[in-house]
Amino acid sequence: MSKVKALVLSGYGLNCDHETAYAFDITGAEPKRVHINGLIDGTETLKDYKILVFIGGFSWGDDHGAGVVQSIRLKTHIGDQILEFIEKGNLVLGICNGFQTLVNMGLLPGLNGDYTDRKVALTWNDSGNFRDEWVKMKVNEESPCIFTKGLKTLELPIRHGEGKFVAEDDVIKQLQANNQIVVKYADQDYKPAEMKFPDNPNGSMLDIAGICDPTGRIFGLMPHPEGFNHYTNHPDWTAKKQQALKAGTPFETGITEGMQIFKNAVDYFS
Amino acid sequence: MKSRLEITLKDNLLDAEGLKLQKNAEKYFGIELESVRSVHILTFDSSLTEEQLETVRADAFTNPVIQISSFAPLDVDFDYCLWIGFRPGVKDNAGSTALEAIEDILSIKLPVGDAVYTSKRYCIKSKDLSYEDADKLSGELLANDIIQQWKIFKKDEWDKNEGVGIIVPKVELNHTPTVETVTVESNEALLEISDERNLALNPNDIPTIREYFLGSDVRKDREEVGLSDPTDLELEYISQARSDHCNHNTFQGIFRYKDMETGEIIVEDNPFKTYIKEPTLKLKEMKDWVVSVLWDNAGVGKFDEEFNYTITGETHNSPSNMEAYGGAITGIVGVYRDPLGTGLASKLIMGSYGFCVGDFDYDGELKPKLHPRRLLDGVIEGVKDGGNKSGVPTTFGQVLFNQGYLGKSLVFVTALGLMPAKVEGKLTHEKTTTAGDLIIMSGGRVGKDGIHGVTASSEVFSENTPAGHVQIGDPYTQKKMHDFILEVRDESLMTFITDNGGGGLSSSIGESAELSNGCIVDLDKVPLKYEGLDQWEIWISESQERMTIAVKPEDLDRFMELSRKHAVESTVIGEYTNSGKLHIKYNGKTCAYVNIDLLASAFPQWEFDAEWTSPEMRGLREPVINPPKDYNELLKDLLSRPNICSKEWVTRQYDHEVQGTSVIKPLVGKGRDVNNDASVIRPVLTSEKGLAFTQSLLPMYSKIDAYHMTTCTIDEAVRRMICVGANLDHISGVDNFCWPDIGYNEDKNPDGKFKAAQLIRSCRALKDMCEAYEMPLLSGKDSMYVDGHLNGPYGETRKVSALETMQFSTTGVVPDISKCVTMEAKSAGDSVYLLGDTKNELGASEYYERLGFTGLNVPVVTPEKYAIIYKALSSSIEKELIASAHGVYRGGLGTHLSMVAMGGALGLDIDLAKVPVADKIDREDTILFSESAGRFIVTVSEENKEVFEKIFKGLPCECIGSVTDKNTLSIKGFDKEIVSVSVNELLSAWKAPFGEMI
Repeated sequence: MSKVKALVLSGYGLNCDHETAYAFDITGAEPKRVHINGLIDGTETLKDYKILVFIGGFSWGDDHGAGVVQSIRLKTHIGDQILEFIEKGNLVLGICNGFQTLVNMGLLPGLNGDYTDRKVALTWNDSGNFRDEWVKMKVNEESPCIFTKGLKTLELPIRHGEGKFVAEDDVIKQLQANNQIVVKYADQDYKPAEMKFPDNPNGSMLDIAGICDPTGRIFGLMPHPEGFNHYTNHPDWTAKKQQALKAGTPFETGITEGMQIFKNAVDYFS
Repeated sequence: MKSRLEITLKDNLLDAEGLKLQKNAEKYFGIELESVRSVHILTFDSSLTEEQLETVRADAFTNPVIQISSFAPLDVDFDYCLWIGFRPGVKDNAGSTALEAIEDILSIKLPVGDAVYTSKRYCIKSKDLSYEDADKLSGELLANDIIQQWKIFKKDEWDKNEGVGIIVPKVELNHTPTVETVTVESNEALLEISDERNLALNPNDIPTIREYFLGSDVRKDREEVGLSDPTDLELEYISQARSDHCNHNTFQGIFRYKDMETGEIIVEDNPFKTYIKEPTLKLKEMKDWVVSVLWDNAGVGKFDEEFNYTITGETHNSPSNMEAYGGAITGIVGVYRDPLGTGLASKLIMGSYGFCVGDFDYDGELKPKLHPRRLLDGVIEGVKDGGNKSGVPTTFGQVLFNQGYLGKSLVFVTALGLMPAKVEGKLTHEKTTTAGDLIIMSGGRVGKDGIHGVTASSEVFSENTPAGHVQIGDPYTQKKMHDFILEVRDESLMTFITDNGGGGLSSSIGESAELSNGCIVDLDKVPLKYEGLDQWEIWISESQERMTIAVKPEDLDRFMELSRKHAVESTVIGEYTNSGKLHIKYNGKTCAYVNIDLLASAFPQWEFDAEWTSPEMRGLREPVINPPKDYNELLKDLLSRPNICSKEWVTRQYDHEVQGTSVIKPLVGKGRDVNNDASVIRPVLTSEKGLAFTQSLLPMYSKIDAYHMTTCTIDEAVRRMICVGANLDHISGVDNFCWPDIGYNEDKNPDGKFKAAQLIRSCRALKDMCEAYEMPLLSGKDSMYVDGHLNGPYGETRKVSALETMQFSTTGVVPDISKCVTMEAKSAGDSVYLLGDTKNELGASEYYERLGFTGLNVPVVTPEKYAIIYKALSSSIEKELIASAHGVYRGGLGTHLSMVAMGGALGLDIDLAKVPVADKIDREDTILFSESAGRFIVTVSEENKEVFEKIFKGLPCECIGSVTDKNTLSIKGFDKEIVSVSVNELLSAWKAPFGEMI
């Protein structure tokens, strides 16, 4: 069987293209890094792909709101193609700047099947500053999200200045009702962060770290699963290795939690 | 049409930007504000219709979920409104991207000249705020008059219809570009013109320049192209090439070094050659992994069979001192062009920073342009935006406070890249230009940026005068260019690439044309930001984000196709030739015609007198101190000292794991909050090899002797490498000298001879250390004149010079990342070992500094002895015998045992009597706080002790205690316990100074 093809958008200040492609590579897909303009000028077409990834970075320098100008460019030029891509039952993943782009395009939250309406926002962290740290998250196992199937918790790095999730109450209620809230920031014991900094690193309402559309096929999150592509990415790995040596147990160096998200996407098509 | 769009957050949302101003006003000036709301302003100077503007407002620049906006002033309540906008010509990155958004959303192409300018206003509620305080907040917190303008509105002065007005900071020069000729009739006349025009020609160079232009052959050649006396452009070209920045005249000078004790005089002819070039070439022969050194924008080392890494380090001191944010962002974005312009281009894989500023809480009477605290805020933010938006992980950095940097702060930035060793069979570290290759300028456009550096900053401003001499780097434009260039490289479409930094086209084309032996350039083809630049300005402008690239004519179409795809502007501006001439034209008329080999001709060397007065002769002695009794408090106080304490808030602002390569992070341990000795990345995702990086800065030892400052700094940088798993087989170095003025002048620089001697001693130490550790230098830079003249309270100015400073960076290939080690104690029950002898070496230590002394016994480094220990430790790490490894650095054993305990959130039981010493030491404080080099604290589990001890047999290595689960650092002195303090308390003390900052 031929491999599932994943398109990783790049260009215009995006910067996680290599490791995102690598993540798909090691989880069994056939990734390709494609410049945004390559899709717009028709050199590449979405028709050839099953998975579309909006990646992290600083598209257009994050000026005028993170992901805003990217969403304008994509919506104006290939908005219809993307809607068609979704309609066909394919998967879309948005990470960090990609998540910001998805919500600005309206692809998330996609309430009532409307994939053009801006209903939620990701805005400046309460700290007013960019922050890099690993966060723990609780996964909503009731969520229809394809990407998090089988995961109960997650630990991944966040690296953003504008990750605070904001929406009106009625939108939040619908998200809850539909189990569209996929991942929430948690404390060291994976209990709800309850808005406490730094467990909730940005002041997101309800500790929301990521949401999906009602079908579970479009998923956006602020933390970076591709940043956990190898066991040595984890901040505690040297300590865990010592513990394992001491206990005489094998030290886990296999597929990481971060990679499971990509693997779930790939497995969806097999 | 000119219009102004105001955007603000809905009032039920927290305004983080407003809150930041509120907090900083309180923290920095004690000014209490009730609330602050920020309003973002876009001022359009465009051909857009009202209908189009409305579309742009609603669909592009307003987020309906969180924002409201209006073309009329928004009704946000305030007592004071502070408007902050850019001066004309200052790079407005968000203004440029706004144009892109407009073009996209309206599907139109805007005519040339349409512009968007961004600005902000802050609506402050505060009943008691005075106008003076409002002005202070504007000028000392929000804006810098060099690049920004501001207006202050009181509530009762506010016109609800006019708002802040419509302010368009457009550059209008109204100037016709002209080439002027300059007389060379006499040395004096030329010197005078040099001063008038800020050419900064060295008086010693002037006769050589005149001789050239007066030569009959040269004059005959020049007549044929319509030139006689030199043009302003030609002199600017020579001035740039001969500048200390480009030519390193200081290091290539002649020093008469006199030892004042013995009276002996040694003539040091070209210290660069003796102490840097020759040892580097010798080591290149010994180390087969040294691929390319001493000529390109960065050095090249071998990573594995497929890939090479590139590295270089820079400083951006003077600009950062004037405009901290702009200087620092330009610095980091600038140094990132060096690996990109090395060989046939490398991909950026990591960066680091080093900031040296005056005391954070300085409240003395001198008035630096920017208070150290504000300066630090600015440089942190500049490197943050520059580094993060470049998509490059910033995996290491240091912040150092010392009063000497009040005169001039230091901003070190280091960059590493990675490139395939070969592309289509061609070695990527080689490149050249050949006659017939096209000269292409890619990236940003040219304005008056950086011309004559900061000298221009004292010029008088008018409403439309560009303030572009202070630059603001644009990482977005550069990131696009970076991605573009890598594709160009992978398709083998270029034969040469270099960056435009200092000296602009003058340097990049001037130097690359030496390879082909000539060039012809049409300056009128260079794309400009605005009209009216003189030819010489286009030639030497330091406008950022530009590369100069050589492309064969047959590859031009594909090159341009990729350039369009990546939305990068590229322009053919000339051709390399083999005419022997640098030939510059403007609209067909020649404005420069200079022999390419002129710069290789014999310009005179700079000369310096150096006088070494030993520390003893300078009266330095060991202080008289009766040993302390309260070691618990002393230890906590040391941990709280500005140069020891936690600076997590800085580290976390930098994305240190983008690219997914992070192996060892800057902060490690149980709480992920203690600094590791070095960082490690896995630059090739499919490989298990790592690249370790670290750096050291120990300028305090220069108070005693810059020789020992240098040896200690380099030893520390090497030891930091060893701790994570690199080894002496493959460690390379980068030296960055930052020195006060060494040119003696009876009135202006009376101690110049001493500082010159310090420089020579530092150079000698550099060579000694590199040879001892067999560590080649892959790159290095120097920045002289780290001095400032500060205003005092009586109208006087006082000169403040920095300590003689070297930042030394090391990088090394880690063969197997699974064996990397971090610094924190891992498990209770493990044994704690101290490797290396402790000596009575408290000179210029943190301990002495805390007690107000300098002392005399500076740490003396014995690298040959240390190397044996380092190899043994590397071997132990390789055999996976070590649970943790950490060097003993500033603050000595007490401080660094604390770090190991804090990192592991575990206790330590330590016995000082077991500490290995070279000669008997009868004082506990000496053992605890001596800063002797060459030492490590390692922890080893029970089952590995025997093999570990065997490896270290006969070496200074003793088990000094054990790791406990008691959360207490307990240290037994010679007869009783002298330290017993909870690790949490230590951690609180360590985090106290900056712990609240995020």
